[in-house]
Amino acid sequence: MVSDFLTVAEAAKLIETKELSPVELTQSRLDRIAKLDSQLHSFIRVLPEAALAAARATEGEIAAGRYKGPMHGIPIGLKDIYETKGVPTTGHSKVMQDHVPAADAFSVTKLKDAGCVVMGKLATHEFAFGGPSFDLPWPPARNPWDTTRFTGGSSSGTGASVPAGLVLCGTGSDTGGSIRGPAAYCGLAGIKPTYGLISRAGILPLAFSLDHAGPMAWTAEDCAIMLQAMAGHDPADPASANHPIPDYRKALTGDVKGLRIGVIRHFYTTDNEANPATRDAIDTAAKKFEEMGASVREITLSPLADWAACGVLIMMSEAYAIHEANLRTRFTDFGEIFRDRMALAGLWTAADYVQAVRRRRELIDELDRAMAGLDLVMTAAAPTEAPKIDEVPKFAIIDRPSLTMPFNVTGSPAMSVCCGFTETGLPLSYQIVGKRFQDATVLRAADAYERATPWRGRRPSL
Amino acid sequence: MTRAELDAVLARLGLNVPEKERDEIAANTLYIEKMAELVKKPRWVGAEPAHVVKFPGAFPEK
Repeated sequence: MVSDFLTVAEAAKLIETKELSPVELTQSRLDRIAKLDSQLHSFIRVLPEAALAAARATEGEIAAGRYKGPMHGIPIGLKDIYETKGVPTTGHSKVMQDHVPAADAFSVTKLKDAGCVVMGKLATHEFAFGGPSFDLPWPPARNPWDTTRFTGGSSSGTGASVPAGLVLCGTGSDTGGSIRGPAAYCGLAGIKPTYGLISRAGILPLAFSLDHAGPMAWTAEDCAIMLQAMAGHDPADPASANHPIPDYRKALTGDVKGLRIGVIRHFYTTDNEANPATRDAIDTAAKKFEEMGASVREITLSPLADWAACGVLIMMSEAYAIHEANLRTRFTDFGEIFRDRMALAGLWTAADYVQAVRRRRELIDELDRAMAGLDLVMTAAAPTEAPKIDEVPKFAIIDRPSLTMPFNVTGSPAMSVCCGFTETGLPLSYQIVGKRFQDATVLRAADAYERATPWRGRRPSL
Repeated sequence: MTRAELDAVLARLGLNVPEKERDEIAANTLYIEKMAELVKKPRWVGAEPAHVVKFPGAFPEK
């Protein structure tokens, strides 16, 4: 009998020592998907035959002494903007529902090379932007802690499926918070790595200059394992960084002594005021870091609205350019949320876009200066726990400044980390951010915090 | 932006937005206008944009 809830690290240890068969593990996840996903809608396409075939192949490799490492034999889900050879990749949209790629995305190839077992394609907000939507070919994913609640977006299927134990980890993408938002609302760990660290080649774009691919898993350690498999230079992605990749898991010492952390409190106390439960949980997490030996001090940056305006203007303008042809010819084939947000994006001028990318340089410089004497900054990932799924405003991205967007603007590694639960059992999170290419420091702090707190011991009951 | 102004812009863009969605879009144009204002800070004429993030060593430090 395979446990309902295993981390990647736990499963990898059992697989390596041959105490757990990848086939058995894969079958147990397929059984769980069959039993629970009618409540969650986290998958838009399950691939049972392909998954079992891949699992049998990995089992053969391991039996023959060709163990590849901690992703070998691990069941994984792919957000349905990651292209998969011969398997439809739709962006959760009617507009691309017949799109069958001829090749895997570069990051999917890397995950398969590491031995992952692809279980299927996961729900997303339409083209990683518009949602939750009820007028698309597939329903929106639901929060596993309370299925009347929103998962956050856009990596909604990954956010729902990992905590529920349907997969052990999954891919996300993050242009304004699409990894960190669902990670926050669904209580898992999700890191948006440094811009350029993971190739975007073969991933449907939302906004070229802000798009980040990244891992989502139950723990920071699992994110480190997954990031190791996904990161690396790809000449096919013009923004791919040719930068040395460290051993991320080795950085997880459990120790934060000497780390200098700046807390951007005004982002969540005044600029986008968090509710008391969220504020208290983040302040308590900051104190925890101090108890563990980090130095913590408050810092002030430009108002959150400035960061959000810069990022949202760039994101929506680039998205409009990408989808312009289809918007002009097939407007009502898009869901209402996506298309109406895009109609707003069309109102900005070319000069507005250029001013935003000039502002971007100023804001990048501002964060660099603020972090000169710091290793990390922390702030809220979301202002509240997950709202009801039918109460999310159509224009949520623009009517309240995003807490996650600042670090898409700067390309910094940023992670959502669970830091408690509301009285009704909904997860709360903070966001921790490092300097560019210091992803290992972010993972180290998140992992140390997880080890020192009880939150990873709690899973949703479905 | 008034509803008439929105209709004119949508016509220029070639977007066939359903009638029932237009009032709500018009009501939210204020956020778009506010964001455009927020990114227009006073700056030197030669202030360059950052089309993507600044990688270490990619540009000379000021």
